Amino acid sequence: MSKLEVKNLHVAVMDEEDKGQPQQKEILKGVNLTINTGEIHAVMGPNGTGKSTLSQAIMGNPAYKVTEGDVLLDGKSLLKLPVDERARAGLFLAMQYPAEIAGITNVEFMRAAINARRPENDQIPVMDFMKLLDKNLALLDMSDDIVERYLNEGFSGGEKKRNEILQLMMIQPKFAILDEIDSGLDIDALKVVSKGVNALRGPEFGSLIITHYQRLLNYIIPDAVHIMMDGQIVESGGPDLAKKLEAEGYTGLRNDLGLDVKLTDEI
Amino acid sequence: METTKAEIELKPAVSAFSAAHDEPAWLRDLRLKMLEQYPKLALPKFDKISYKKWPLTAATKPVVQESAASALADLSLDRANAKNVLVMLGQTVIKAKLDPELAAKGVIFTDIFTAVREHPELVKRYFMTTAVKADANRLTAFHAAFLNGGAFLYVPKNVVIKDAIQSYYIQDSTRDQDFVHHVLVVADENSEVTYSENYATVGDKPNLANVIAEVIGKANSHIHFSAVDQLAQNTTGYVSRQGRLAEDARVDWAVGAMNDGHAIVDFNTDLIGRGSHAEVKVVAVTTGEQLQGINTHVTNIGKHTIGHILQHGVILENSALIFNGVGHIVKGAQGSDAQQESRVLMLSTHARGDANPILLIDENDVTAGHAASVGRVDESQMYYLMSRGIDKKMAERLVIRGFLGNVLTEIPAKEVRQQLTATIERKLENGQKSE
Ligand SMILES: Nc1ncnc2c1ncn2[C@@H]1O[C@H](COP(=O)(O)OP(=O)(O)OP(=O)(O)O)[C@@H](O)[C@H]1O
Ligand SMILES: [Mg+2]
Repeated sequence: MSKLEVKNLHVAVMDEEDKGQPQQKEILKGVNLTINTGEIHAVMGPNGTGKSTLSQAIMGNPAYKVTEGDVLLDGKSLLKLPVDERARAGLFLAMQYPAEIAGITNVEFMRAAINARRPENDQIPVMDFMKLLDKNLALLDMSDDIVERYLNEGFSGGEKKRNEILQLMMIQPKFAILDEIDSGLDIDALKVVSKGVNALRGPEFGSLIITHYQRLLNYIIPDAVHIMMDGQIVESGGPDLAKKLEAEGYTGLRNDLGLDVKLTDEI
Repeated sequence: METTKAEIELKPAVSAFSAAHDEPAWLRDLRLKMLEQYPKLALPKFDKISYKKWPLTAATKPVVQESAASALADLSLDRANAKNVLVMLGQTVIKAKLDPELAAKGVIFTDIFTAVREHPELVKRYFMTTAVKADANRLTAFHAAFLNGGAFLYVPKNVVIKDAIQSYYIQDSTRDQDFVHHVLVVADENSEVTYSENYATVGDKPNLANVIAEVIGKANSHIHFSAVDQLAQNTTGYVSRQGRLAEDARVDWAVGAMNDGHAIVDFNTDLIGRGSHAEVKVVAVTTGEQLQGINTHVTNIGKHTIGHILQHGVILENSALIFNGVGHIVKGAQGSDAQQESRVLMLSTHARGDANPILLIDENDVTAGHAASVGRVDESQMYYLMSRGIDKKMAERLVIRGFLGNVLTEIPAKEVRQQLTATIERKLENGQKSE
């Protein structure tokens, strides 16, 4: 069993809107979260509240600066590790906005990712790789030609999301953070993506699912749901919390909790 | 004055060298004339490439020297077992093979000195007379004066050669000696040939290399010319490839500029005949402290001629890479097309790069276009790749491969593509060592 812990995490970004001296802007203001393998946690929260920031900070995106607190994997701090080492340690982030890279084929990329986890003298045999790929393509209802295309280049929104899940299934990390994997998906695609995640479910796999919609959680039933507002987790509970949120909205929930935070769509 | 000094000191040696190869009078006389002239001629000018201080004209005394084949042990000459192959180390022919069937058809493929002796008329007619003249500039004149190796390929009328002609020209820098190498390719009417050349260096003495390849395509001939240049770090190189095409002739250049030292790679193709066509594809990688200046020039002279230039290069460490692309359509070349694309990708903050498109259009009824860019590796792309566990070097390599792949996929011959890919990997591995 593995454990991913986020302890009192404060994260700042460089605010580039201010002309002249760039200012540090604090986005996360003390996030606490513990996920064990075997568990699926959902994080919900209004736009601009810091959900993607949390996922990027855990993964080690250099644009996000941890000013206080820690991220630990099995008790060891990850903060000093660059993103590729965190990935090899077992983290995976399905990004809200995956990069497009012309010239590198999807298949070449996935093989490199798998081989990066293996010793140089024990790279994955091509046949094994192709078998695994075919199996996962079938499971995700994806066509073969997508793997020969350049990485995410010209992919539709939905194709990009599926491709993130395909990579997830190929790499099989200990912990996967899925940042709005459901946004922009039609209902069939949503089911397919959920099927992929559920296929990985088991004692060796944990996940943090960021979503705006309770609907995804009908397909991937979480063990815990956390509500994030203004850079903090303000409420945690079971799957019912997501349903309550769906019914009341963030404003209702905020008022229930008596919080003093401003939501972006309020004037 | 230095000019006379060079002449006085080197004249006996040049004469002796010529005599040792039993050269005919015309070649000896050309050497001596160019020996006299070269110091006075101007260096060729290449936009934005400054190389005046490079030791490209400090001649070593020419001497006939044998090189031992054992020096090649460390090199992998992967296609040296081809049917048609020439392997040279310094001035020494290590291996020369030509399919007897081709020889029977009149194909000639031999080292340049043998060619001068055995086919004097053919060589005399084309050697530095047509594609480039010996007295064109200081470097060409130097070349004629100090020529000490090379090859001659002749494809007779209507002969189509299926198997590639392979060549390996290895500079011997285990001793102090200039490498002055000439390749002359003549494709006669309606012929077709694939010629592939590889340059490399053994030894680490600081020497100069002055290489000129002349390609003469007669009417309706088709030449596939590929080259991989891997001269060593201690070599200062001038590598020039000059083409001249008659009616409906075509040349496809596919070149990897993978030298490790300072180098000028100069392509010049003159589309003389109506409907002639040149495709120039160049990939380049620079590393260390080197500068590679790549000057690619196509001149549309005949009507309805086509000149296309596509060059992509990657710059690592403290190196510099300059791509000049010159598309020149002269007056009278109606219906011609000149297109070019030059792109440079910089991987380090110390790298310097330039992509410099020049279109010179003196005729109205033509099509022409250019694209050029100098960019850095996109941080968000690197982050994405690395977020899957791929380390920084591998991620860079993937990005570079992708970038150069845009040119490689345009090269029709699979073998050439594979070879260029392998060379790129080697060069990248070296280039990433210091990071
Ligand atoms: N790289 C960055 N540079 C500057 N500001 C940033 C950066 N990343 C995030 N921010 C800011 O931090 C805040 C939180 O953004 P984040 O993307 O984490 O929100 P989110 O909860 O994921 O929102 P959404 O639901 O819209 O995806 C926003 O105000 C955003 O503008
Ligand atoms: Mg977000």
